[in-house]
Amino acid sequence: MRGPGGGVVSQKLLFDRIDDPGLNTLPVYEARGGYESLKRALAMPREAVLQELLDSGLRGRGGAGFAMGKKASFLPKGTMDKYLVCNADESEPGTFKDRELMQKSPHMLIEGMIVAAYAADINRSFIYIRGEYQQQAAILEAAIEEARAAGYLGERILDSEHSLDLVLHRGAGAYICGEETGLLDSLEGKRGNPRLKPPFPANQGLYQGPTLINNVETLATVPHIIAMGGAEYAKLGTETSTGTKLVSVSGNVQRPGNYEIELGMPSREIVYGLAGGPEPGREVKFWFPGGSSSPVLLPEDLDLPYDFDAMAKAGSMLGSGAIIVVDDSVPVIDVALKLAKFYRHESCGKCTPCREGTNWTVKMLERIDAGEATPMDLDIIASVQQQIMGNCLCVLGDAMAMPLGSMVAKFRGEFEAHIELRRGQAGLGAPVEVLA
Amino acid sequence: MTQQVSRYEHGSRIPGWDDAVDLTKDAAVVPDPATTPVPAALRAQIEAAMARYPDARSAAIPALHAAQELHGWCSPEAIEQAACVMRLTPAYLTAVATFYDMLETKPVGRHAVYVCTNISCSLRGADALYDAVREAAGDDPDFNVRAFECLGACDIAPMASVNGEYVGPLELADAATLVEQLRAGDEVLPEKQLSRRACADPGAAS
Amino acid sequence: MPRPEVRMVTFSIDGREVEAPEGAMLVDGAKYGDVEIPVFCYEPKLGQPVGACRMCLVEIEGIPKLQTACSTPVKDGMVVHTQTERVQEAQNSVVEFLLVNHPLDCPVCDKGGECPLQDITFGWGRGISRMVEPKRHFKKPLELSPLIAIDRERCILCYRCVRFSQEVSEDYQLILHERGAHSYVGTFDAHPYVAPFSGNIIELCPVGALTSRPYRFRARPWDVEGSGSVCTLCPSQCNVELTVRDERVLRVLAREHAGVDDGWLCDKGRFAYQSIHSEERIVQPLMRDGDELRPVSWERALDAAAAALGRARGSVGAIVGGQATNEEGFLLARMLREQLDSADVDSRASGPLPLELQRALATPALQATVPDLEFAHTVFLLGCEPVDDAPILDLRIRKGVRRNGVQLAVASARPSSLDPNAALSVRYAPGGEHAFVAALAAALDGGIGCEQLARDAGADGSEIQELARLLREGGEDVVILWGERIGAAAVPALLAVADRLGLAARDGAGLLEIPAGANGRGLREAGVLPNAGAGLAEPVNPSRPPRDARGIAEAAAAGELAALYLLGPDPVRELPDAGLWRRALARASTVIVHAATLTEAIRDHATVVFPAESYAEKEGTVVHPDGRVQRLRPAIGHPGAVRAEWQVIAELAQRLGADPILTGSMASAQLFEAVPFYAGLTLEELGGRGVRWQERDAAAAAPAGPAAPYETGTPLAALTSQANGTLRLGTFRSIWAAREVEMSPALRFAAARQQAELSPADAERLGLSPGERVEVSAGETSVSATVVVRGNVPEGTVFLGEATETDSATALTGGLVEVRPARVEVPA
Repeated sequence: MRGPGGGVVSQKLLFDRIDDPGLNTLPVYEARGGYESLKRALAMPREAVLQELLDSGLRGRGGAGFAMGKKASFLPKGTMDKYLVCNADESEPGTFKDRELMQKSPHMLIEGMIVAAYAADINRSFIYIRGEYQQQAAILEAAIEEARAAGYLGERILDSEHSLDLVLHRGAGAYICGEETGLLDSLEGKRGNPRLKPPFPANQGLYQGPTLINNVETLATVPHIIAMGGAEYAKLGTETSTGTKLVSVSGNVQRPGNYEIELGMPSREIVYGLAGGPEPGREVKFWFPGGSSSPVLLPEDLDLPYDFDAMAKAGSMLGSGAIIVVDDSVPVIDVALKLAKFYRHESCGKCTPCREGTNWTVKMLERIDAGEATPMDLDIIASVQQQIMGNCLCVLGDAMAMPLGSMVAKFRGEFEAHIELRRGQAGLGAPVEVLA
Repeated sequence: MTQQVSRYEHGSRIPGWDDAVDLTKDAAVVPDPATTPVPAALRAQIEAAMARYPDARSAAIPALHAAQELHGWCSPEAIEQAACVMRLTPAYLTAVATFYDMLETKPVGRHAVYVCTNISCSLRGADALYDAVREAAGDDPDFNVRAFECLGACDIAPMASVNGEYVGPLELADAATLVEQLRAGDEVLPEKQLSRRACADPGAAS
Repeated sequence: MPRPEVRMVTFSIDGREVEAPEGAMLVDGAKYGDVEIPVFCYEPKLGQPVGACRMCLVEIEGIPKLQTACSTPVKDGMVVHTQTERVQEAQNSVVEFLLVNHPLDCPVCDKGGECPLQDITFGWGRGISRMVEPKRHFKKPLELSPLIAIDRERCILCYRCVRFSQEVSEDYQLILHERGAHSYVGTFDAHPYVAPFSGNIIELCPVGALTSRPYRFRARPWDVEGSGSVCTLCPSQCNVELTVRDERVLRVLAREHAGVDDGWLCDKGRFAYQSIHSEERIVQPLMRDGDELRPVSWERALDAAAAALGRARGSVGAIVGGQATNEEGFLLARMLREQLDSADVDSRASGPLPLELQRALATPALQATVPDLEFAHTVFLLGCEPVDDAPILDLRIRKGVRRNGVQLAVASARPSSLDPNAALSVRYAPGGEHAFVAALAAALDGGIGCEQLARDAGADGSEIQELARLLREGGEDVVILWGERIGAAAVPALLAVADRLGLAARDGAGLLEIPAGANGRGLREAGVLPNAGAGLAEPVNPSRPPRDARGIAEAAAAGELAALYLLGPDPVRELPDAGLWRRALARASTVIVHAATLTEAIRDHATVVFPAESYAEKEGTVVHPDGRVQRLRPAIGHPGAVRAEWQVIAELAQRLGADPILTGSMASAQLFEAVPFYAGLTLEELGGRGVRWQERDAAAAAPAGPAAPYETGTPLAALTSQANGTLRLGTFRSIWAAREVEMSPALRFAAARQQAELSPADAERLGLSPGERVEVSAGETSVSATVVVRGNVPEGTVFLGEATETDSATALTGGLVEVRPARVEVPA
């Protein structure tokens, strides 16, 4: 039997000596054993490489947490054009782990992509990087050039039968392009509107071809899995949340930043132990465990182990692994309004509930903040979130409805008090004490 | 005391909603190369981008980035030139350009200062910072100060992307410095550039 | 490309077992069980479902989330619920969301009463809204084009209009700007949405956001009646529903027919109804009185016309325009042959075609249908520009290429708007049509002689070889869509090409001709040809070789014909060699015309003018280019003293000794009896959808053409531009070059004006810039035009339009022209 897993990783995988000078260049990366996993993988049959990925239990690090090996195995066999797309459109508020990885160790990602492409028998690949990451794009572009010059990319890689073309594609600022099918449309040169599923990208993705889409961190983990073996990797973390994970901690903490942890580590240790917790004298009021799209959790939930299942069980999700901490100095309405405005701004507008629901929610919250609301409006807000959830074309609508619904449910009293307070301030009558 | 609740509001915040077409114009079809001059460098840039993809339309965003760089914004002229090279209608590229935040469809100043005002940054004072930067830039037409959604640098919150360079954590006083440095053509807040920052994870250094 | 086979599956919906075609989307499958699932964005004509509006959410057992019925195909054993609380909650929610920013101004909305949003709100909405925030308010309506108004408050962003523009008509002018709740429909930089099919978005719009400007506030749905007929403004013969209020046509809507129009209309068909009610229309008979045409009674006009025709017995020539019905053409040709001892009657603008070739082309086995364009392996466009010549086929070809992977090949003199969709586009020189087709036949036959013929055609021999390879190897089902404009001389070579590709042997393959006239095919089959009687029969004992259209003009100009009968066309504007026709009209002692308006030639030369009917008033039949006999039904009564034109001809014939014809259906019955391959046809059988005669038993009576091999003939070489600066003249007829367009106030803006399309090299050499006025001249004749420079115009050729309101290219004689800057008038 394995232990409960989880803790600060004694030996970092992704972040191992990440600040080494020049790690973004090929010589330094190679000197540290870079591209050895690729050589090892190319010496194995494709199926064996895929099996290592399956054995590792690696779950996608982008937000949905789907098993990476399984996703790769869904691609049809055959000689049609297949595509690997790295989702580097890291836009989930509170998430900045991929940025640090790409900036400091671009070759780790490239190596991971070559191995993943080999496992799934893919010859064309793309990195879709968000437009705002200009420096990281420049670094990646240079690294791709180096890798191509060294024979790691292109025709017959290292004299194997495997060929891979890699193109870096810069986005131009749209959160929705982090949604995999929105990303595909954007990469095809269109507006980044999500597509109807099915068909799923594994069958019909980029240019209608079978497509494997993975997050930066997921792909960057691949060389480590090959190096240590899938089974060995699976021993890290918990049984269903294997491996290490980069966690971006931000908001009201003293040491915001990226930390590599073993999944299953107690959340409190991340928030307080690693990130230092709120400023002295402040308490955690609530926290987002997986980016701004995850339902908020309360201070008592900090005792939960930080892994996919525990977060799901608590009614939230691990998401992209971005913990946003909000302390007790912040009115919940401020966060709710910020959040709703963000999703309204980023809604692509294709489907009705998301387009109209985000817009309406903002208007209602603004009314609350302007003192023009009544407690009944909270019921309407909650109901509107219900009407959005599960009824949209993609998950963006849910991404607002879930955290917002959780805020209204968990902080109803504070919302009502706020309504009364603002009503008074707006000269619409004296505040009435809110009954618990 | 009663308050007037208006039933309608004018939606002029939304660009374009009140615009009719100009009936004296012709239909905007794919620009004819014979009558649409395109600067050679721009053409080369767009054609190179088109060659990178199995379907040349994928180059829409790179083409618009390039046209914007040349013209300062995605002006009708810029879009027509890109459309001419890509053999698309200008409307196709307009639909793309207006979808993405970084593609400017109105004339803007050449210094892009994106202040992140999303949750993590606003928890650390981003809204005040944004106001401060706007105030510092004043009505200088060289500046394009925008409140931006999460820029993916919450570890240096509150932060800004200054012509692509991420700087933070910023204090209110940095706003004026930043603007002055940009005006003077100097490097912006070198000590606060993200590119020089070490990983927060103490284990990463060992 | 074989058409998909349909298998039936059984599924359960709301507790009912329902059988529906496999692969049908649930929305459509549900209809088999009389279950209606509400939709906004779903419209199968637009292609793949997008699932955007979320109105059609249903519960499917075994799937946890609600599913969009528009995008979920029915499967055997599927269990679907559309009435559960969960589904109703979702439907209520979507309606509430859609109405969040909708102004609910139904009382002043043109869509009111026929509005899906109204209906669905009523049927599936909660009935109340909890939205108390201020609604958005914008200027409205705004112009989107001269034809279409846009009301952005009402828009529910269902994507239908932009999908039409992007994926059906592929003009890609209409787009969504911005994103999220800020999204709005518009165009690039305030350019108007002007495109040949733009009006379809009005009909597609499920709310009152896109409305017809000409129809605006003219009627409400309960004021009007719909009347089904067929549009005869071009050979597409789209099925239409005319919206009629108080004997006025106020609107034209599509009446979807998969075998004809696929449910779309072009803007000419949609908006030119205004010409029906034009003030310019002639609504009573006119007779010449000295220099003037004066209104007279029907009796007087008919008597005078009959007397004049009787006097000219044996010396009468008749030209029948493309919009005439089968019955009109049939009765006129019969009157000429039987009462007036003349076979000088023609409906072909492109010159005479030997009867055996005419018959070969009419062979049922060789006939491709409109839907074949969508499912062929290869569609080959030869010498036609569908968007101008038969617009609705343009959409069908695009659909085939886009959705079914049809391979498209284009061969034309003028660059085609379908070039970007084509796997291969080949250019030849104007006048090189015959040589080109002969070269292609040679290439299919091993290539001997191909090079020389290609040179004669002004084409590239290797391109023709490539085209031959593509036609031969791209799959057996090849449809050749060709224009009558390629000329009669090229027809044997075309038949040789068809023979070598084995088109007659395959169901989905064949030839499809776009005739120059809307009912070109029907008129030929009705015997409106100098060399054939009804049913393409041998003419009975002509005393002398009958004259074709040009022969008639020449004979009249030479004083050899005393009377001219013009059923429809203004020959000066529409037929080749305007000068010759002017002389012919001036010389003939009697000119009897059927005309809707007075054009210059008619005003100057007509002896008797009978008022023409509009197609909304006509009764009779027409034949679609693929052989579908279709029925015209009067939607409105005749204005003024206008009478049915078949009746006018019948009364003339009666005065000249023929038996009377009492009703329109009697005229049709006589036609059906006279044409062996129409035998047994009745108007009832035609009904509202028409019947392809090739699919009836009587088709066996179609006269056989000669068997292969066909001699491709000896083509003349196309002219080449000369060192002295002359250019080859190429001509085309724009969709907008029509009287009906000019007479419709809403469409007036679109009316074709003469433009000289030049290549950049020629423009530079001649020192001409875009927008400049030029004189284009050939010998003594010349026309004025405005210079347009296009990158894809081949060097050495200038293209001019035919049948433009002024300066029609038909005025020019000769294939080489000079293009010079127009003399600038210096004010005195």
